[in-house]
Amino acid sequence: MNALISRIAIVGSIIKKDLTEFVRDRLWILLSALGLVFYVGIFWLLPSTVDETITVGIRQTGLDIALQEMIEAEDEGLKVVLFESSERLKAAVAGEIETQKEIQIGIDFPDDFLSKTLRQEKAIVRVYVASGVPKEISRAMSSLVREIAHMISGDDLPFTEPDEQTVVLGEDRMGNHVPFRDKMRPMLVFFILMVETFALASLIASEIQAKTVTAVLVTPARTGDVLAAKTILGTLLAFAQSVVLLLAVAALGENVLLVLCIVLLAALMVAGIAMITGSSGKDFLSTLIYGMIFMVLLVIPAFAALFPGMASPWVKILPSYGIVEAMVGATIYGKGWGESTPYLALIAVWDSIILGSGLLVLKKKAEAL
Amino acid sequence: MTTPAIKVEGISYAYGDIEAVKSVSFEVAQGEILGFLGPNGAGKSTTIKVLTGQLTPHSGKASILGVDVKKDSPEIQAQIGVCFEEKNLYLNMTAVENLSFFASLFRIKNVDIEGLLYRVGLGDRAKDRVKNYSKGMQQRLMVARSLVNSPKVLFLDEPTDGLDPVSSQAIRQIIKDEARRGAAVLLTTHDMHEADELSDRVVFLNEGKIYAMDKPETLKLKHGKRSVRVRFRENGDVKEQIVALDESSTGEQLKSAVDTEGILTIHTEEATLEDIFVQMTGRGLKG
Repeated sequence: MNALISRIAIVGSIIKKDLTEFVRDRLWILLSALGLVFYVGIFWLLPSTVDETITVGIRQTGLDIALQEMIEAEDEGLKVVLFESSERLKAAVAGEIETQKEIQIGIDFPDDFLSKTLRQEKAIVRVYVASGVPKEISRAMSSLVREIAHMISGDDLPFTEPDEQTVVLGEDRMGNHVPFRDKMRPMLVFFILMVETFALASLIASEIQAKTVTAVLVTPARTGDVLAAKTILGTLLAFAQSVVLLLAVAALGENVLLVLCIVLLAALMVAGIAMITGSSGKDFLSTLIYGMIFMVLLVIPAFAALFPGMASPWVKILPSYGIVEAMVGATIYGKGWGESTPYLALIAVWDSIILGSGLLVLKKKAEAL
Repeated sequence: MTTPAIKVEGISYAYGDIEAVKSVSFEVAQGEILGFLGPNGAGKSTTIKVLTGQLTPHSGKASILGVDVKKDSPEIQAQIGVCFEEKNLYLNMTAVENLSFFASLFRIKNVDIEGLLYRVGLGDRAKDRVKNYSKGMQQRLMVARSLVNSPKVLFLDEPTDGLDPVSSQAIRQIIKDEARRGAAVLLTTHDMHEADELSDRVVFLNEGKIYAMDKPETLKLKHGKRSVRVRFRENGDVKEQIVALDESSTGEQLKSAVDTEGILTIHTEEATLEDIFVQMTGRGLKG
């Protein structure tokens, strides 16, 4: 019992010393503080609402009102603006009319569109698309024109659709679009964790490079005490900063325990990475380079988690994908413990690998000095 | 019979294929200062690393205060103080914080940190961050750190390296005081004068092997050549005559030299530890 108390006291002393060293390192304190302010600022500057309406300009004398109603009835996300001439429509799509910058697609129906369509003759309809519009949207507009022609001519479409036109596989997020800034919350936490990785790695590297750990290990302190202290302090620092960020971006509204659990697992991973990079680097620069390698590897899956359907299978098994995906689910879509368990398990497995490797590398390095 | 503070029996250690320490044996009693003399790479620091638990000997046996060093016992570590050759201090912390941290690792609560700092001449700079210290001040703090737990066994690896003569003398006095207090001191140094002044016994270590181990005076008497150097003026030129004291004709030669007219100086000379080291190992201490 006394031995245990003694070990705890020694670990406590090392943590206190590490914290003093951390606070005195102006570079990382400044970067951590700036990081927090920057990421919180970015969050509150991002738009809080989603505007997914596409404004379409059309020109067709005589039929314009009917077409407008027809198109707007086709899709709630479409808004139609009428134009008197082809030239003005083209100018609007090209962005040359200051008051109509929102128009990115123009449909120029010819004057004889109605008569030719009714006679089952081919009419030429021009679709103008602004340069930045994705191809799939311009193709959708072409399909819309064909559908309108069928409706005017009274012909049936060459296929039938059930009453429920589209079967959504997975969660239907129609009408429940998430503002970009909400999607960015987990990513901002991830960035803060990465900054913390560098700070902790720097702390460990300086201890290794100055061989101060050797002085500690010829006292009653053991290698295990040093490792325990680094793990506890590293995890707590990363966790605390992430929680501050989550509070500042109002991300702890629901599923608080689940979110904190995800952040804790992520903080453990950060402590492990810091041990690996801090022990491997021979100087500040090499520590930074090793840290960057980890950051690049982890940031790709983290971004992929924000854009569903884009992630390759190999990306989905990396820990940062699990962290961001689990946080997106918990903070945005209200997913609970049950749905998050696969991600938590993935992160826990990675934690054991990364933290285990970090402890092993640091132990070998400290004992070999 | 009292247990020696340090007992080493045939320890060996190799870094890969390079044998750093080859079957080294010695003992250090409580209150004794044992000087480890040898050039760089002689095996001095490796021996200290083995004794302080940083390295495990590949063969042989070593004990501190009767406890085998292989046992990795915190009880042994609590009784030793180590001053490393490299200055491994926490530079962003003050001298007081550095010493307080190490005192807490030994779980000692009532250490007179300021008194210790005054003892090494750092009392006035106790609350300055160590990164603002000169190399000599950092070295003095290293010595103070090794004393924070009032150790029974003290390992000092080049403790006066880089110090000015006044600071060196102060550190030497501290080493003598610690030995007088009863601490066993293992002192490694390149400095023959320091070894001569401080050590009760010296060990000549070269290429991992012990070449000699005895009192400095005994080594000098046994291996060194004593002589008298007489300088005199003859026909306007300054000349000198060296008379060896260990030869049968010493008396006559000395009488003849002293009878010479125009004597300028007469000096007795004895071999230094470095002379004897070179004589025995074929290498200089600073090599």
